[in-house]
Amino acid sequence: MHRLYVLPTLIINVVIIAIPALLTITLAFFQWDGISSPRFVGGENFADLWHDRVFWTALTNNVIWTAIFLTVPVGMGLLAATMMLVARRGSTFFQVVYFLPVIIATAITARIWQGMIYSPVTGINGLLDRYGLEMTNPLTQTATSLYGIAVVDLWHWWGFLCVIFFAALRQVPAEQVEAARVEGATFWQTMRYVLLPGIKPTITLMLIMTVIWSFLVFDFVYILTQGGPAYSSEVLSTLAYRSAFYDLAVGKAAAVSVVISLFGLCATVFYIRAQAKEFEE
Amino acid sequence: MTKAHYRTTTLAATLLAALAGQAGAQDVIWWYEQATPDQQQLIADLIEAPYAEANPDETLVIDYRGNELDKQLRVAMLSGSGPDVVYTPGPSYVAPMAQSGQLLPLDDYAEQYGWNDRILPVFLEMGRYDGTLYALPKTYETLGLYYNASLFEENGWEVPGSIAELETLADEMLAKDIVPFAAGNSDWRGANEWFVSLALNAVAGPEKVYQALTGEIPWTDPAFVESIDALARWWEAGYFGDDYFSLDSGEQVAAMLAQGEAGMMPSGTWAFQNIDIYFGESGAEPGFTGFPSAEGEPVFPLGVGSTFSIAQSSDNPDGAAKVIDFIFSPGFYGPMNSAWQGEWNIPLSDLSGVEMDPDAMPIFVEAMATLATSVDEGNYGYTSWTFLPPATNSLLINGIEEVWLDRTTSEEFLAELDAQFQQEMAEDKVPAIPAR
Repeated sequence: MHRLYVLPTLIINVVIIAIPALLTITLAFFQWDGISSPRFVGGENFADLWHDRVFWTALTNNVIWTAIFLTVPVGMGLLAATMMLVARRGSTFFQVVYFLPVIIATAITARIWQGMIYSPVTGINGLLDRYGLEMTNPLTQTATSLYGIAVVDLWHWWGFLCVIFFAALRQVPAEQVEAARVEGATFWQTMRYVLLPGIKPTITLMLIMTVIWSFLVFDFVYILTQGGPAYSSEVLSTLAYRSAFYDLAVGKAAAVSVVISLFGLCATVFYIRAQAKEFEE
Repeated sequence: MTKAHYRTTTLAATLLAALAGQAGAQDVIWWYEQATPDQQQLIADLIEAPYAEANPDETLVIDYRGNELDKQLRVAMLSGSGPDVVYTPGPSYVAPMAQSGQLLPLDDYAEQYGWNDRILPVFLEMGRYDGTLYALPKTYETLGLYYNASLFEENGWEVPGSIAELETLADEMLAKDIVPFAAGNSDWRGANEWFVSLALNAVAGPEKVYQALTGEIPWTDPAFVESIDALARWWEAGYFGDDYFSLDSGEQVAAMLAQGEAGMMPSGTWAFQNIDIYFGESGAEPGFTGFPSAEGEPVFPLGVGSTFSIAQSSDNPDGAAKVIDFIFSPGFYGPMNSAWQGEWNIPLSDLSGVEMDPDAMPIFVEAMATLATSVDEGNYGYTSWTFLPPATNSLLINGIEEVWLDRTTSEEFLAELDAQFQQEMAEDKVPAIPAR
């Protein structure tokens, strides 16, 4: 009888997660314009992706994006969290300041950066340009467009990691930190041998979630460049969106989504195994 | 009956009546795209109010669905729960919807209301699928060349009459630090296709484009290579300015033109609204002319912004037809186009009965009259968003940036475009192309 308690959750999971996920996987093997009847094409959509240079550009951009977000915001977050731990005074204020960009809607953040910072007409870039400092809108160059978007997302994201790491650092037993200090450990030695191992599970979880989120990135890219110029900032999710809603190639979009999910799945498996190992320890 | 029972029964009856009223057979539902509060007011004053007055038993419900209307519409049509008046983003959507049986044939209504005589024949052709009429275009538009007439007069410049003259003039503007073409795409990447459509029609010519659209010649034809090369040359020379990817395609570029920072603006007739606002502010005089062709005669690439159909699942198809009929009337054309220019250029074959506001921009009235004459005489070109199938068009929009930024050549771009077009043509996705 007690098993019935899981029924509501099970129904929600099946209806909201399992059915759409299975439909997406099924659609990846069909050719469909989203209007008329789907036609089964086997693995053709995946074969087409293999020969599609835009797909490879998008995949590479996702990998670059993941590498950036696995290092820069994690490093910034850890540094700022540790500094707040050392200098407790004002830490609440800084936590609020760092966390503020996270609670602003991404569309608004993107529009502010696009119009008020990067724009050569209405932004700070344009102002500096008028004062003789030569500035270029990074979103308009093929070499920098992806990094221009990443800067906006980093500004929006790193504070979240900082607050999470700070919360975790505060959970490290004070006795261990005190013992290290008594033993004469330097600040970096305390970090290396006491604090970082103490928050390792949090760091692992954040890194794994970063991999999953990096392959799902869409909003900032779509608002700021729509994947351009010349596909230079295309990522898998914008490719899937364009395929489904502009090219009316829903099957191809589903195939791209399956590829995105595979990366997320790998990260999830890694996380579950890491967790299982932790429990064993 | 107790008081409590009475109250419950009354409440239930009221609720039922309200629900019945909401989904009543006499309602006509129309999902509209994005509209500003001022535009919504115009729709209320010029469509909803007169329709309600003429049809007291029916209620026209216009639901503003924003920029994502096409996506919402596709899902709703699939599930059979869409609106009565189906407002699609263009003819390329009509064929698959008709093919799937989601749209009602309009031939009987066309007969009943006399649409066959009232609407320019070329647009009726574009709304047909397998010989049956499924859609009527809400507005038709063209691409042309806006210019700052005051700036031209100040510098003694003449309106260019050929591509060669256009290039000479653009070089002169560059020498004076004036951007030749006010253009941008930061808000709408689709703006790229305006320039590709202009180049294809102006350099290769409408006849060649027609042949490619009907599959007679490939898109790799040397005439198209020459067109894309010309567009790449203009980009390379700096005609589009340094900030193309930073500027928006509507207001910012119109402001640039009005302020004399740019000399010309290749854009569509929908831009008249911004021209009115920004030239009004700057006090400069605007001008509009057809984009010059290689031969000299200006070309008017024809475009259809959106279309009207009736859903097969509609509970009130007669009401929907009445709404469409009301919009296709001279009595509606005049007031709407006087107040909201460029968005409601309904393809009426006879504009003699139309009364425009005397304050309406003369260049707008003149441009629309020229376009109507050109279309009537069969002297028109083709815009990519109206006549190309969806994936080919999407490739055209994104691919041209690769040509501009030296990531591919004109030949490679056209080869890719042709392969995609041939695939979609084989899948019967090319919209109806009226015979020349």
